[in-house]
Amino acid sequence: MGGESNEGEMGFKHGDDESGISRVGITSMPLYGKADPFFSSADWDPVVNGGGFSSSHYPPMAMDNPGMSCFPHYPPGSGYPDMTASLLPFGDCGGGGQIGRFLGSDKKGENVGRLIGAGETHHEDHRQVSGDGVLGASPSRKRRQPEAESQRNKKAVEEYQEEPQRGSDQSQKKHKSDQSKETMNKESSQSEEAPKENYIHMRARRGQATNSHSLAERVRREKISERMRLLQELVPGCNKITGKAVMLDEIINYVQSLQQQVEFLSMKLATVNPEINIDIDRILAKDLLQSRDRNAPTLGLNPFTGFQGTIPNVSTTTNPQYNTLPQASKYTTLESDLQSLYQMGFVSNPSTMSSFSPNGRLKPEL
Amino acid sequence: MERQIINKKKRVFSVEPNKSHSAAFTRKYISHLVPALKKLNMNKNSSQITQQTVKHEVDMALALSAQEFAWSRFLLQKLSSSKNPTTTTNSSSKGTQVLERPDKEGGDEEGEIEEKLRELQKLLPGGEEMNVEEMLSEIGDYIKCLELQTIALKSIVQDTT
Repeated sequence: MGGESNEGEMGFKHGDDESGISRVGITSMPLYGKADPFFSSADWDPVVNGGGFSSSHYPPMAMDNPGMSCFPHYPPGSGYPDMTASLLPFGDCGGGGQIGRFLGSDKKGENVGRLIGAGETHHEDHRQVSGDGVLGASPSRKRRQPEAESQRNKKAVEEYQEEPQRGSDQSQKKHKSDQSKETMNKESSQSEEAPKENYIHMRARRGQATNSHSLAERVRREKISERMRLLQELVPGCNKITGKAVMLDEIINYVQSLQQQVEFLSMKLATVNPEINIDIDRILAKDLLQSRDRNAPTLGLNPFTGFQGTIPNVSTTTNPQYNTLPQASKYTTLESDLQSLYQMGFVSNPSTMSSFSPNGRLKPEL
Repeated sequence: MERQIINKKKRVFSVEPNKSHSAAFTRKYISHLVPALKKLNMNKNSSQITQQTVKHEVDMALALSAQEFAWSRFLLQKLSSSKNPTTTTNSSSKGTQVLERPDKEGGDEEGEIEEKLRELQKLLPGGEEMNVEEMLSEIGDYIKCLELQTIALKSIVQDTT
């Protein structure tokens, strides 16, 4: 899952293969694509992440919040457009509202995907599963606010949008919940729905506050932690850091250092500017080559090896680089950090290399 | 030959689509920046090329190369509205404040985190107008682009020295 990048954007999240830079690429379109068959399958095994529930059609996501499910419900077989349409009218759920804004951008697909991913713990079950053509009745599942919080059993369903339906829906709900109370009790999860119009179906974990506001708040916080985790991968040296505050500090420092570096470089550029005699192609080729050095150990692609064989005039000192890990000693520490993070595509055609063979320096030295 | 090189560069093979996108960004960035610098060179005497103008061009190139992100739009706005350096220069002074602030107690942790998030928002162009989640995503892209920009600038500088 997440293999393809549905939008050609840089993915700074490497969690799932950079399915999209700008967004938490936990789930991408392929995952969404799976959702349809998932929904249409008769067995509604809950998608769960941790928590001792039976496991799922979905592989566990990067989020590890058991019991949290943000799972949009939509009738099986409905296509993607349907879903986004249904997701768009987001209401006052704090997280939901922001997602709505998010969806407004053109990153729709991924956002939708993410919502699905985020809602992995959908211990759906009882109500929907109870085998009474549940899938047929799925539209009724798109409900919102429960009757009262005193109803612990997962009768809580969200209202789709039509208030008048509520009466009939509730009767259905009750019917289903009666049927499957045992299953529900086994699973010891409470249900609490997100307020109003959004279709993000959320559950409160056992023992947690089931106030609608706090639920939304929790969703929001989960998302934020999610992104922070991804940021953690992006910023060098943050793998061992636990704790938001320290992590944020690191990120801030890193961004500042990057900005300072840019500033320093531009200052340097200003001093040398008068003598500038830049050949764009040369720079581009060099740039790509630098990244190629870094990627040498990780990419065993044919074009690369082919390239290696056909460039005789590359200096011998650089050849070993293609076979070994880039040696940190050759670069400044920041550069090596950047390089380890930075992966670029490279040019496959060997003839481009010859364009800078006269340029003996193939590694950056600053 | 030149055209060949350019065309061939466009055919980028990569294991992950991400890489090709990074390459695309770098290409765009350099193709924005270098002509701009050349133009600067030609239009002004060398004595007039201040760091300010170069910084402006650098930032402009960054913004133009990353137009799919929200922060680049904000950056463009800032740049077009004024020719002054962007917040990047200011943030360096603010940055030390973050480090020097004594650690608050655990009870205050939430506030501390919020404080830091706000700090981060200031670093990102347009960050203050976004909500936190969005900002965190954009920060990731911003970091990536900054890294690419750094590398590109280094190679340009190296090329001319």
